[in-house]
Amino acid sequence: MPDSKTAFSFEGVHLELGGRPILQDINFAVKRGEFACVIGASGCGKTTLLRLLAGLVKPTSGSVRLGDQTVTAPSREVAVVFQDYSRALLPWRTATGNVSLALEAIGVPPAERADRIAPLLAKVGLTDHAEKYPSQLSGGMQQRLQIARSLAQDPSVLLMDEPFGALDAMTRQSLQDEVLRIASERHATVLFVTHDLEEALYLGDRVIALYSNPGRVARMVDIPLPRPRDQLATREHPEFLRLRRELFTVMEEIHA
Amino acid sequence: MSAVSRIPSPIMGVAGLALVIFIWHLVTTGGMVSKAFLSSPADTLSALQRGIASGELVGQTRATVLRMINGWLLASLVAIALGSLIGISQTARDFLRPTLAFLRSLPASAVIPVAISLVGLGPSMVLGVVVFGSVWPTLLATVQGFATVEQRLRDVAQVLHLSKAAFIWKIGLPNAVPDIVAGMRLSLTVALILSVIGEMLSGQEGLGTAILLAARAFRAPELYAGIALLGLIGLVSSYGLLMAERRIVRWR
Repeated sequence: MPDSKTAFSFEGVHLELGGRPILQDINFAVKRGEFACVIGASGCGKTTLLRLLAGLVKPTSGSVRLGDQTVTAPSREVAVVFQDYSRALLPWRTATGNVSLALEAIGVPPAERADRIAPLLAKVGLTDHAEKYPSQLSGGMQQRLQIARSLAQDPSVLLMDEPFGALDAMTRQSLQDEVLRIASERHATVLFVTHDLEEALYLGDRVIALYSNPGRVARMVDIPLPRPRDQLATREHPEFLRLRRELFTVMEEIHA
Repeated sequence: MSAVSRIPSPIMGVAGLALVIFIWHLVTTGGMVSKAFLSSPADTLSALQRGIASGELVGQTRATVLRMINGWLLASLVAIALGSLIGISQTARDFLRPTLAFLRSLPASAVIPVAISLVGLGPSMVLGVVVFGSVWPTLLATVQGFATVEQRLRDVAQVLHLSKAAFIWKIGLPNAVPDIVAGMRLSLTVALILSVIGEMLSGQEGLGTAILLAARAFRAPELYAGIALLGLIGLVSSYGLLMAERRIVRWR
C-alpha cells in the first residue's frame, strides 16, 4: 500500500498498555502534503495514535512507518504541537528562547539562530512579543509560539494534538486559518487530532473517525472541499453540510 | 510559589529592632541582670567599636564569613551536581531519597567527632563539617526541582532529541532553579551555624572562638558584640540571597 508518495502509514498497528487494548488493527496511510484529521471521543486513543507516530510510544504489534522507515524513536522530521501549550513551553525562556530550543536541538550555530527565529515569530504574528515570557502571553499567543517552535525544527510531518481545544472560538478560528496557510506554504503533511467534527471538516483533506475501547478506525472520509478554505464560505458549502450530517451520525455511534 | 517571599517594608523591621534594643537597654540599666552576664547595648556598641578599631573583630568576622561562604559554595556546587545526577533518573530518585532524608535529618554537629577523628582539629575539619551540613537542603531541593519537570516538557525534549546533558542544562536545571535558590538560602544559615560551632570546637580563628573566649573571661560586652556581628552576617546574607532570588526567577 505505501509508495514514495506516502508520508507515513500505520500497518496493522495494535497497542496494549498495562494489558488493556488501546488501539486495534489500525491501517491507513497518509500522502505527502495531505492534511489528515483524526476525530473520536475522549479516551478513544487518538492522542496515542499521534504519540505512536512521534515515536514516544511503541506499538505492541504492527508497524508505524515514516516514509520507508519504521518509527522506533522520535525523529527530527516529525514535530509535535501539544494541546497544553502552557506546559509545553519553557516558562523561563522568552518567546525567542523557546523557538531557539528547537534550533539548539538540531545544532544550528548560535550566530545563525536569530536570523531563523525572527521570520518564524513573524509567521505566527509574535514579532512584537519576541522578548516576552510565556506567562506574559495569552493562550492563543502561547499556542502560536509552540507552533513557531515546531516549525523551527523544519519538519516534514506536523502532528497536532487538539491544539486549539483550550482556546476561545475567535482565537481558534484565526489559528485554524494560520495553520492551513502554514501547511500549504510548506507542503507539510499534517496529522491533526481533534474532538471537534466541524474543525476536522474545515481543516482536513481527509477525516478519520475512531471508535473507542479499543480505538479502531470507524470511518475514513475524503473531504473534497475547495481550498483555500474560508470560515464562512467553506462552512456554508453544501458539501460541508452534507459531510457534517454524514459524520455526525458516525460521531453519535462513536459516543454511544 | 512561596519560595519567593514578599520583601516587607524596612520601616517596620527597623522599628522592631529598635524596640528589642530598647527593652535590652531597660533590662540592663535597670540592674535586673548582672553586667557580667548581659552587657548593655551601649557597652556592647563600644566593645564593637573598639574591636573594629583594633582590627581584631574585623579579622575574626572575615575568617568566619570566608569559612561560611567557602563551605556554602562548595556545598552548593556538590549539591547541584549530585542533585542533577540523582534528579535526572526516576530510579535513582526512588533509590536514594530515603537515604538522603536520613542523612539530612542527622544533626551536622553529630558528625563533628567523626570529622575530628578523620582529619584532626584543623581548618579542613571545620570546612568539611560546614560542607557536610549545608549540602542537604540544596541537594534535596535540586532533586525535587528535577522531579517536578512537567511530563510535557519531557515529551518535548524527546521529540527534539535533546541529549541527557542538554536536558539537564536546558530543562532540568532551569526548572530546579527556584528550588535550588530556596535550598541555598537554607544551606547558608546552616553553613553559618556550623562555621561558628566548628570554630568553637577547634579553636580556629573566627567569631565563634572569639565569643567563646569572651564568655569564659566574663567579658560580656565582647561576647554580645560577637553575637551581634553574627546576627548581622545572617541578616545581610539572607537578605542578599532573597534579592538575588527575585532577580533570578523574574520569569515567574
